[in-house]
Amino acid sequence: MIRFFTLLKKEVRELLTPQMILPMLIGVLALAFIGNIVGSEGKKSQTGHSVSILDLDKTDSSGLVNKIFTESGFTVDYNTDLTAEQIIKKATDEKTGTVLIIPEGFEDGMGKLEQQKILKHSVISNFSIFATTGSAAVDLTISAVNEYFSNLMMSRSIPGEDPAVLKNPVVTDKYVSLKEKTAHISIDEVTGFITTQTMFIPIVIFMIIVSASQMIAVTIASEKENKTLETLLSTPVSRISIVTAKMTAAGLVSLLMATAYMFGMNYYINGLTGGAFSSSGDSSISSAITRLGLTLSIPDYALIGISLFLSILIALAISLILGAFAEDVKKAQGLITPILFLIMIPYLMSMFIDVGTSSTGIKLLMYAIPFSHTFSASQNLFLQNYQPVIFGIIYQSVWVIALVIIAAKIFKSDKILTMKINFSKKSLTKIRMF
Amino acid sequence: MDNALVVQDLEKKYGKIKALKGINFEVKPNEIFALIGPNGAGKTTALRIIATILKPDAGDAILYGTSIRKNPEQIRPVISYLPEEAGTYKNMTGFGYIKFMASLYTNDPKLRQKYLETAFEIAGLEGRMNDKLATYSKGMVRKIILARAVMTRPKLAILDEPTSGLDVINALEIRNTIKKFAQSGMTVLVSSHNMLEIEYLCDRVAMINKGEIHKIGTPSELKSEFGSQNLEEVFSEVVK
Ligand SMILES: Nc1ncnc2c1ncn2[C@@H]1O[C@H](COP(=O)(O)OP(=O)(O)OP(=O)(O)O)[C@@H](O)[C@H]1O
Ligand SMILES: [Mg+2]
Repeated sequence: MIRFFTLLKKEVRELLTPQMILPMLIGVLALAFIGNIVGSEGKKSQTGHSVSILDLDKTDSSGLVNKIFTESGFTVDYNTDLTAEQIIKKATDEKTGTVLIIPEGFEDGMGKLEQQKILKHSVISNFSIFATTGSAAVDLTISAVNEYFSNLMMSRSIPGEDPAVLKNPVVTDKYVSLKEKTAHISIDEVTGFITTQTMFIPIVIFMIIVSASQMIAVTIASEKENKTLETLLSTPVSRISIVTAKMTAAGLVSLLMATAYMFGMNYYINGLTGGAFSSSGDSSISSAITRLGLTLSIPDYALIGISLFLSILIALAISLILGAFAEDVKKAQGLITPILFLIMIPYLMSMFIDVGTSSTGIKLLMYAIPFSHTFSASQNLFLQNYQPVIFGIIYQSVWVIALVIIAAKIFKSDKILTMKINFSKKSLTKIRMF
Repeated sequence: MDNALVVQDLEKKYGKIKALKGINFEVKPNEIFALIGPNGAGKTTALRIIATILKPDAGDAILYGTSIRKNPEQIRPVISYLPEEAGTYKNMTGFGYIKFMASLYTNDPKLRQKYLETAFEIAGLEGRMNDKLATYSKGMVRKIILARAVMTRPKLAILDEPTSGLDVINALEIRNTIKKFAQSGMTVLVSSHNMLEIEYLCDRVAMINKGEIHKIGTPSELKSEFGSQNLEEVFSEVVK
């Protein structure tokens, strides 16, 4: 046991080198940085839009349009004594996104219940998303303007009636049910909440598994390259200690990376959503979500953790076996490509496809890949479908046991030193190992 | 028991290549015994089998009565193996490497301390032991690995081309260390393709070519038998 820890310490040290840590740190910082930038730009786009208004009517009603825009958070450049050309030129010079021109006779026409036109000019300075959201924000405020004037018109024409009823005689009251529990909330709000809560999970899983595979394949190949593996194999430490120390070290280090990435991701997502869905967000949504039981309990997190750990072990064992075929570090990196595909498939599918409703072929493919179960675990647990999660964990355990046995067998035999893949006919006979 | 190591009919194939075609030799206690032969002769293969990291297809080697084939776990604590062109863990310091390797051989802190002292004395790398191994020269790496290999005072030290690629001075130092340890009670099995150098080091040599041993004897015996000036000439006669 002491020797196992000696080996473990050495493996962790070999992994925690600046070459390994630096890319990870940069990745995490980049994520947090991008999240913050995108988030603050997004906030700017929600609140900081500017609009130029040319009021040719100069009445109380047209003044109200200005007021509504100002109160909606727009920076309004309000003019009454320019021509249309002049204000558009001014807006172009000052890069104001939108120009609104309220025509003369706006209030008069409204009084006669005639539809009025406000001219909206979008001035293009670039095609960024925020430029478009600026225009959309103007449209949204225009509907607030509409709402206001329509209520005014209705209460004038049909006094004593509620304009809201007149406009929408039929409304829906939205409920969502899950396993006999019901909450007063719309399905859009539920999916919105769940997506923001879970969208970073697959990315993190993907990164951990990939980095763990890479680490172990590289360490085993570099030991072969430096002949330290031969030395190690001739010492009195057991082969199984060598295998498990390598796997544990790579597992630990990738969990460490996972934690770092989780923090980065958290920043990234908080930045993106401006913390919209964090606990302090919309309280009616979060209380409805809690009533539905759409939250993860500590046992749920434990199940996700177990599933993730098993996935890491599987990836490590496969990489260890593949790394054993490689003579040097470069070849090792090439050899782990198959694992990347095995992870890529469930990763992409979990993002774009609902496996539950897809065809049997795809279902079988997904269930056969051991990594899929980790990708689907968090969703299943949100929906309190414990059965597939437990099944997945059992299935993954079988993989782990089988792979560790194979890996230990390779290390026990002398195949670890003699087998290699050259993809030539002659040497392929050498890989027939069992 | 008058032999330290008895090698019996060792055979090894890699795919279709027959690397060893049944070799036999004996090594006496405290002797320095060399396997000499050209590239591809099968030296490394033989040493790896005796070091328990390759399994023979046939035959066995017996170290003080214990079969390397049946009981490799009992062999490993009492041998040490220095692979051909061996490297180290580049991120470790010289001190860290010796300490790590010593911990693999013993859990006893006192014994480990003794190993460390022995290793530091042999390596003779004063002032550099706390530097990363990545900064060591080839000669320094070889010294530290040799120090590691002999610090546990193994019953059998298996050294694959311990001096290859080193300059004259470094090679001499390495040879002196090996000789010193053999005199103080350690059996050594070395390999080399440098037949001139090996005369100065070994008590007896076995000439191996294409997986077969052709001749065994002390350098002077072999030279007088063939009336040659040196072992290279003997070898070219033997493989004719
Ligand atoms: N892993 C391997 N796979 C296939 N063939 C091998 C392998 N290792 C060695 N051989 C072959 O076995 C034969 C003996 O090789 P070995 O390494 O034992 O020779 P050697 O005497 O140590 O040579 P050198 O002086 O070059 O080190 C050679 O023909 C070599 O090509
Ligand atoms: Mg060799």
